[in-house]
Formats: sequence, C-alpha cells, structure tokens
Amino acid sequence: MTGLRILVVDDEPQIHRFLRPSLIASGFEVIAVETAAEAIKAAATQAPALIILDLGLPDRDGKEVIREVRAWSKVPIIVLSARDRETEKIAALDLGANDYINKPFGIGELLARVRVALRLSAQEAQETALYRMGGLEINTVIRKVSLNGESVRLTPKEYDLLHILVRNAGRVVTHRQILAAVWGPAHTGDTQYLRVFVGQLRQKIEADLANPAFILTEPGVGYRFADAGE
Amino acid sequence: MNTQTGPRDGRPSPDALLKAAGQEGRGKLKIFLGAAPGVGKTYAMLLGAQRLQNEGVDVAIGLVETHGRVETAALLNALDVLPRKPVAYRNRTLMEFDVEGAIARRPKLLIVDELAHSNPPDSAHPKRYQDIKDVLDAGIDVWTAVNIQHLESLSDVVSRITGVKVRETVPDTVIEEADEVMVVDITPGELIERLREGKVYLPENARRAIDKFFTASNLTALRELALRRTADQVDDQMVGFLRRHAIEGPWPTAERLMVCVGGDELSPAVIREAARLATGLSASWVAVHVARFEGAERDPAAGARVDANLRLAERLGAETVHLSGSDLPAEVLRYAKRENITQILCGRSRGNIAARVFRRSLTDQILAQARDIAVHVVAGSAAPVKTSWRWPSALGDISGRAFVVAALAVGAAIGASKLLFYSIGLSNLSMVFLTAVLLCAVNQGTVSAIWAAVLSFLAYNFFFVEPIYTFTVAKPNELFVLMMFLLVAILTGGLAGRVREQSNAATRRAEQTRALYDFTRRLSGSAKLDDVLGAICVQTAHLAKGRAIVLLADGENLSVRKVWPPDDKLGPGEWAAARSAFERRTTTGWGSSTLPNAQYQFRPLKTSRGILGVAGLQPEDFREPLALEAERMLEALIDQAALAIERTMLVDETAKAHALAESERLRSALLSSISHDLRTPLSSILGAVTTLRAFGKRLSESDRDDLQAAIEEEARRLQRFVSNLLDMTRLEAGAIEVKTDWVDVSDAVRSATERIHKAFKQRQVEITIEPGVPLVRGDSSLIEQLVFNLLDNANKYSPPETSLAVHVRRDGTEVVLSVRDQGSGIAKEDLERVFEKFYRSKVHDGRPAGTGLGLAICRGIATAMGGTIRAESPAKDGKGTRLVVRLPAAEAVDGRRGI
Repeated sequence: MTGLRILVVDDEPQIHRFLRPSLIASGFEVIAVETAAEAIKAAATQAPALIILDLGLPDRDGKEVIREVRAWSKVPIIVLSARDRETEKIAALDLGANDYINKPFGIGELLARVRVALRLSAQEAQETALYRMGGLEINTVIRKVSLNGESVRLTPKEYDLLHILVRNAGRVVTHRQILAAVWGPAHTGDTQYLRVFVGQLRQKIEADLANPAFILTEPGVGYRFADAGE
Repeated sequence: MNTQTGPRDGRPSPDALLKAAGQEGRGKLKIFLGAAPGVGKTYAMLLGAQRLQNEGVDVAIGLVETHGRVETAALLNALDVLPRKPVAYRNRTLMEFDVEGAIARRPKLLIVDELAHSNPPDSAHPKRYQDIKDVLDAGIDVWTAVNIQHLESLSDVVSRITGVKVRETVPDTVIEEADEVMVVDITPGELIERLREGKVYLPENARRAIDKFFTASNLTALRELALRRTADQVDDQMVGFLRRHAIEGPWPTAERLMVCVGGDELSPAVIREAARLATGLSASWVAVHVARFEGAERDPAAGARVDANLRLAERLGAETVHLSGSDLPAEVLRYAKRENITQILCGRSRGNIAARVFRRSLTDQILAQARDIAVHVVAGSAAPVKTSWRWPSALGDISGRAFVVAALAVGAAIGASKLLFYSIGLSNLSMVFLTAVLLCAVNQGTVSAIWAAVLSFLAYNFFFVEPIYTFTVAKPNELFVLMMFLLVAILTGGLAGRVREQSNAATRRAEQTRALYDFTRRLSGSAKLDDVLGAICVQTAHLAKGRAIVLLADGENLSVRKVWPPDDKLGPGEWAAARSAFERRTTTGWGSSTLPNAQYQFRPLKTSRGILGVAGLQPEDFREPLALEAERMLEALIDQAALAIERTMLVDETAKAHALAESERLRSALLSSISHDLRTPLSSILGAVTTLRAFGKRLSESDRDDLQAAIEEEARRLQRFVSNLLDMTRLEAGAIEVKTDWVDVSDAVRSATERIHKAFKQRQVEITIEPGVPLVRGDSSLIEQLVFNLLDNANKYSPPETSLAVHVRRDGTEVVLSVRDQGSGIAKEDLERVFEKFYRSKVHDGRPAGTGLGLAICRGIATAMGGTIRAESPAKDGKGTRLVVRLPAAEAVDGRRGI
C-alpha cells in the first residue's frame, strides 16, 4: 500500500503533529491542511486515496467538504469529531462519509479504519459472490447463508439486512442507509423495524447474544459488521 | 315560516337526537302533579316506590313530609329514609333535605317531596327544584310531587280562581323537562269528603283561609288546569317521540310567539298569557322590549320594571330581546318578520280618555300596521296602581327644578316684555315668552317647557292682554291669539325638549361606547397580565357601582389575582361561589340561582381553550338586580376580559418558551465548548502517545522529540483549562474565601510574570511600577492569578514577537494595574463581552484557542476584592488592548470602614 496519499484536514496543529509521523511510518504520503477551502482544493488537485476530515473547521462546516467532494469523487472519507453529538456524525455519514472516529482516539484504531476504508473502496468495483468470516459463509448468488457448515434459514428481509452489513464489513452503516436499502426510501425513519430484525438476525447467527461477534451496534448511529481483517 | 321543519327525508330530526344525547347519563325525573293538597300525591309516590323496591330497585327517601298521616308513615317504614341536614335559621333549626348526602348515598331512585319548597337563606340553592337538578345531574332518578298552583305560568290564574296568593312557584320548564308527569287525581267531591273526615293535614292557623280554598268550584277549576297541563305535556312527548323515531308528520306548524313588554303594570299578565299560549301551542316565544332610543329610559323606576318583566318572561321560558328605533311599531314588526313570528301579544290598558284621544298606543299602531300576522290584545283590568306610580314622578316635577326654572324663565320674560313694551312700544310680545319656553326646553327638557308654556300663557294673559291684571279677556280675537300661543308654545317646547332628550341619549350612548372602547384599547394596549387584570377590575367595579375581583386558575386551584378597591377579602361563602362558578362554568353567587347569599356574583372567564378563572363583582345595593343595560355591558366586558387575559398568558408563555430556548442554546453551546476544550488536548496526547508506542523505533529522532514536547504542552494546556474551570466554579458558587492579607501588588506582578516566562519563554514583558503604590487588602494568590490570567490573555491575542507591558500606579484611593498587548485589539461592541464566560474572540491564527474563562475569572476576582476591571481598545498607536484593574487601596478600605 506504499505511496497511497492521505489528505488530513484538521485545524488543530497538535493533531497534525502526531498524525503525520504515524501515517508516514505506516507507509502513506500525507497532505496536511487546516481549512475547508484548502481541503477541497487538495482533494481536487492531488487525488488523495483517502481523506481524514475534522468536522469542526474554522472557515466552513466539515460536512460541506463532504458534500462538495462527494459531488465528483468516491474517495473514502473518515470523519474525526470532537463533537459527541450523534446527529453530526449521522449527518456526515448520510452525506457520504465512509466512517467516523471519535476524539480522542488511539492511532491504532484510526489506522485500522483507514485500512478497512481503503480495502472496501478497492472492492467496490466488483461484487463478491462469496463472503467468509468467522464460521459464517454467505453465498450471494444463491442467497444462502450457513454457520459452521450448517445452513441458516433467513427471511428475505433478514437476508437483505445481513447482505448490506456484510458488504460494508468493518464500516459503520447508518440506520438510514440500512432502512433505505432494505425497506425502501419511504421507511428511513422506522428504526423500530431495524431493531426487531437485527434482534432476529442475531438470534440466528450469534453464539453469544450479550457479546455479539458479527453485528456490532454503533449506539445512536447504526451497525457495523465485524471486519475479518481486524 | 316553519322554522322547525320535520324530518321529511325520513331521518330523525337532529335536534331531537341532540336532546336525547344530552340526557344520557342524567337521572330521570318523574313529577306527581296534583290539583290541590290532599289528593294523595305523596301516598301514590311512596306506593310506587315500595313496589319498585320490592322489585329490587335501590330506593331512598330524601325527604317526605307525612303530616302525621298514618297510612303514609306506614309506607315509609319499609323504605330507606336518609337523614336530614339541620340548618340554623333565625334561632330555629330547620331539618332540610341533604343534597350532598343523597348524592353520596347514590340510590337508583330518590324521592323528594314538595318540589316548590324554598330553601332557607345560605343554602346552596334558593329552591328545591334546583337541588333536584343537582341530584339528576349526578345520574340519580328522582320522583317528586307538586301542586298545579305552584306553576309559574299558572300562578296568576290560580290566584284569580281561588283568591289565594301563591308565593312558592316553580318554572314551567321544570315540568316541561320532566321525563314523566303523572296526575294524581280524585274528584272534588271525594277530596272535600276526605277533608271533612280529617284525612288531609291542615295547619290550625291556615284552616280558615284554606276552607275558602277547598270549594267545589275552585277544586274543579284547579283539576281542569292540572289535567289540561298534563295533556299538553303528553302531547309534547308524543311529538318528541315521533321526531326521534322519524315518523312522518303531519307536524303541527311551528308557531313562534312574540310578546311586547313594557314597564306598565299590565305587562306581567300579558307575559303569563303568552307563556300559557306558547305552552298550549308548543311554540317557542320571545319577549321584546322596544324603546325609542337605547339607554333613553329616563325614569329609573320604569327601567327597573321593564327589567323585572323581562326577567319574569325569561323565567317562564322566553328568549328576551331589546329593540330600539325611532319608529317603534315598524321596529317591532320588522323584528317579527325577520324572526318568523306568527303571533304577537300586546297589552292594552284602558287609560284615561285624554291618553286615548291624544296618543295612539303602541298596540294600536301595531294593530294598524300588522300584515299576515295574528295580533292578540290582552285588555287590562281597572288598575288604580297605575296612577299611584305616575303621580309621584309628576309631583316631583312640580316641586323640582323643572318647575322652578320654568317659573324663573317666565318671570324674566315678563320683566323683559315690560321693558320692551315701555321702551320701544313693542306690542306683540308672544315671541319673548316663546323664547323663554324654548330656553326651558333646551335646558330642562319637555316637562319644564310645558310648565313654561302654561305659565307664559297665564302671565301673558294677566300682564299684557286687556284688561290688564285680570285673567279675563275682553276681545274674542285676543282669546284666539292666546289659545294659538298656548298651542304653539306647547308644541315647540315639546319638540325642543325631545331634541334635547335625544341628544342626551346619544351622548350617554356615546359615553358608554367610549367607555367600552377605552376599556378594550387599554386591554389590548397592556401586555402585562397585571395591567389587564387591573383594567378589568376597575371597569367591572365601575359597572357594578361596587367592588370587583378577579380570580385565576392555578392548576386546579383558584387564587385571588386582583381586587378593586384593593383591600377586599373573600369570605367562605364567596369562596364557595367562586369555586362553583369555576367548576360549573356558570354565573353563581348574588343574583344567580346558585349560592345567592354570597356577597359577590361570580362569572366564569371562558375562552375557546377553556376556563381561565372567574371574575367577581359586588354591587352597591344587594336588593337591586343589575340593570339589563349594565348586564349586557358586563357580558361584553367579561368576554373581552377573558380574551385579553388569555392573550397576555400566551404572550407570557411565548416569552418563557423563548427564554427557555435561549438558555438551552447557551447551555448546549457551553457544553460543546467545554467538551471541545477538554477533548482536543486529550486527542493530541492520546494520539502522540499511541504513535510513539506503535512506531517508536521507526520514527526519526526529531519526530520523537516533537511528539514528546507535544504531549507535555497539551498536558499543561489541559491542566490550565481544568484549573480555570475549577476556579470559575468556585467563584460562581461563592466558595472562594477572600483572605484579607496586606498584599503588595508589585509582588504579585513579579511572580505572575515569572510563571508566564516559564510557559512562554520567548515573550517579552515590560514591568513599570510607580513609586508610592499602597498595599491592598486581599488574597495574594488570587491577585497573582488575576495578573497571570491577564498576561496569559495578552499573550494569546498578540503576535509572539511583540512585548507585553504591565503598569502599576496609584490613583487617589485606588491601585491601578494595567496590562497592555500589541495585538489587533477588541471591537468596540465586544469590550464588555470579553468578560463573559466562554466568550472568545474569533481571530487566532492557528494557535491554541483560549478557554473563554480567563477574563471571566479576572472579573470574578476583582469583584470579590471590591475592585473593577475593564477593557480599553485600541490601547496605543491604534492597536492593542489594555485591561485595567482598579483595586481599593488598603487605607481607603479601612477609612471607609471607620477602623
């Protein structure tokens, strides 16, 4: 993965101080900017492979950067935010950010998210026919799921739900995104459907319901399918 | 003309269904109606009750008088007789029907005898039928008994038949609304027989009077009345049944009656006649009073009689209407046409011959002008009462101002005429006297004008017509002129007087309108609830010519919010009335049917959103009911008042919601600011530490050093923020104890500067301390913190290469400490805001943001030591900021305290 260029957007110089050496040490090239305007310019001219974006920028709201960049690019965006307000993050994710990480964070956590995002964006081109993770195997051609070799019977909706999570494994998928994909755009507010179906799905595939191994809850934001690579 | 069309389409009439729905959940009322005492109503009622009880119905006796009759008492033995309530009245204890007890007992059927009974004063209701209404409202069935003579509309007929005056009456509506009416009937002969056998109880003292009452002819007439009344009722019920069940007519034409009401003594009889006719025809009816000009009722006694008559009509079930106009009969007929009136009732008194010849009565005019409408004329009997009330007012006029002014005016006219006659030989002097008449008319009104006309006639005759100084007239043509003069004088005087009265009436009306307009304007002009309540109280008190009070709902409770005049208190009776008005949403207290002995009358303040409270008024004279004029004004006023109160309440609520939203916004801004300030250094520290651990070996030497330096800086930044936050919290909570040491400000300045040097090594600080700076009383560590915060702030907002200046001097009794930077300064409008908590200036080029607490803490410390702090910008050469702290010098503090 050497040479991949990462754009880091944050107005706090202290953040750049540790992100730059860690990313370089991990084999990335780093472009560091402090404002939204610089970020949009750099995203357009320097073709970064990934953007790490702080939502609280001095000149404009970080969400606007996402909106502008998404207008012409599918480059993965990971949002950094000191804000603990869920709505901010959900709005960023719904605008097209690929993942988020809350401040303060350890560098390992961030690098893991960076790797997942880069891998998923590489996969985006072709749909995989067969997913294997843990003891779970999903054949998307014949829509069959098996756990430790035994077939699991899922309703069509449960299957669709599992599919969208697995396809984005390692990355958070917001309630809204799941609802729109499985139930249709008219149901993006009906999170109670989601809670019921996630519960049913977990009963069928999770060994320990108290500590789910596959479907992880991102409180208030959405769900994340555990990444096999982590 | 048919306003109550039947259900031609075969559907039940909505009105009938509504009426049925309104009665659901309400108890049923059965009335046992008798023609006279002793027919056996109570006995029949108890017999029926006993039968029902045997069938398993829960029957209770609220009140039954056996009058010592054995058979009746025997029936009572088997029934549950509820205890009565003792009520003290004029040193006696009366045993009265206990309404609350009966409702609490909740039988299926309650028996309460003597529907027409009047309760002693201080009871909840003055009449028993009102108590019974409460019981029915509670969902309990009631049986009761009444004699036909007690019916309001029949009371005068009964008096006429029997010669006995009926005092206790029951409105006809009570009977009309009863679910069942049963006539208890025996023949007159049988009743007289029973009377003779002593089976009917009669009190000794009333025996003789009653003997006259129980004659065969009386009893026959009463019996006929009772039977006819019940037949009417049965008819009504039949029609009601047909309507409810949508059975096709023929329906009786919906008749609508109108009765013309005046202040004369014939009106009550006409009203009663109308009530009987309306009942007979099952028609609705309306009582109309027509006046030439609204508010022009000059004679208050006549106005009161009109009010009393209209109230009687209301009691008998009429709707009442006031009309006004210049052409009275046309006004009446126009109203009749508009309201689809089918029959009009008017009274016609005999009057004297003069009145009949000179004045066509309203009745005559209506008769003459009415088309397609039946007019009933009720002729009055000889009424000596009539003159008895006319005379005093006429006499009053003679001795009153009207006559005096007329006499004076005529006297002056005589003088003037004499003068004119002798000076210029004017012979035709009638114009001089006519002028006197007109002056009287304009100043004093018609009565005075007519007196003046008559006096002028006499004076002219006496002083100026040959032979002079006699009342005889020599020439016939002189007599003719004199008569002409009298006629002209009376006519012009009368006309001028009427013009004056009309203009007075118009003025009064304008005043009333203006008063109401002023009131509304005052209401809409005041946004504060207190002002609105004040205006309402003053206006209500003015209308009632007494006191007023407003109580507003406070959740479920009422509390007094405004009283006028301000020193008034409510007694327990008034509180009960106020609560009752609030709960039932009707008028209670004085002048109403609920708790009429309360000193106040309470009216609910209702709007579409619900009830807000009650307004109370206390009249000047409890015997006088409110004039209808005042009543109408009051209704309008109360409506306006309720709306105005609601409006101010809504304004208050909106303001509160705004304030709440604002404080919520501030709170969330504060929270996010704190969370940002805490998290940013934590992020840097955590990120740097995890980077060092993960890549330690792979990082270059300089990167490693930089990360370690970053960790240290950020940890210090965090420490500063946390201690600032704690200082602020302690200052706000008043937990900082200000020690009163002797403090040398220059020491504090030096140690604070040293701390700044440690934190920001490159920064230059120039210190100037003028000689002779006194000590201050205070806490040395706080003063040092104050100076440090000022320097820290200056450091943050000025370029690193520029120097900071600290200056300490004496100014009178104060020590002045100032810190100046060479930054970009503070905008004028922000000079005060920089001391607010979490306020931060925007411009800082990438360097760490402040906590927004430093200067707030400075102000807290300065204030705690009795000093002040302010910001000045630009400080020097058009740039920079100077923060100036003034602390009281130690001697000055001591001097002030007199130590």
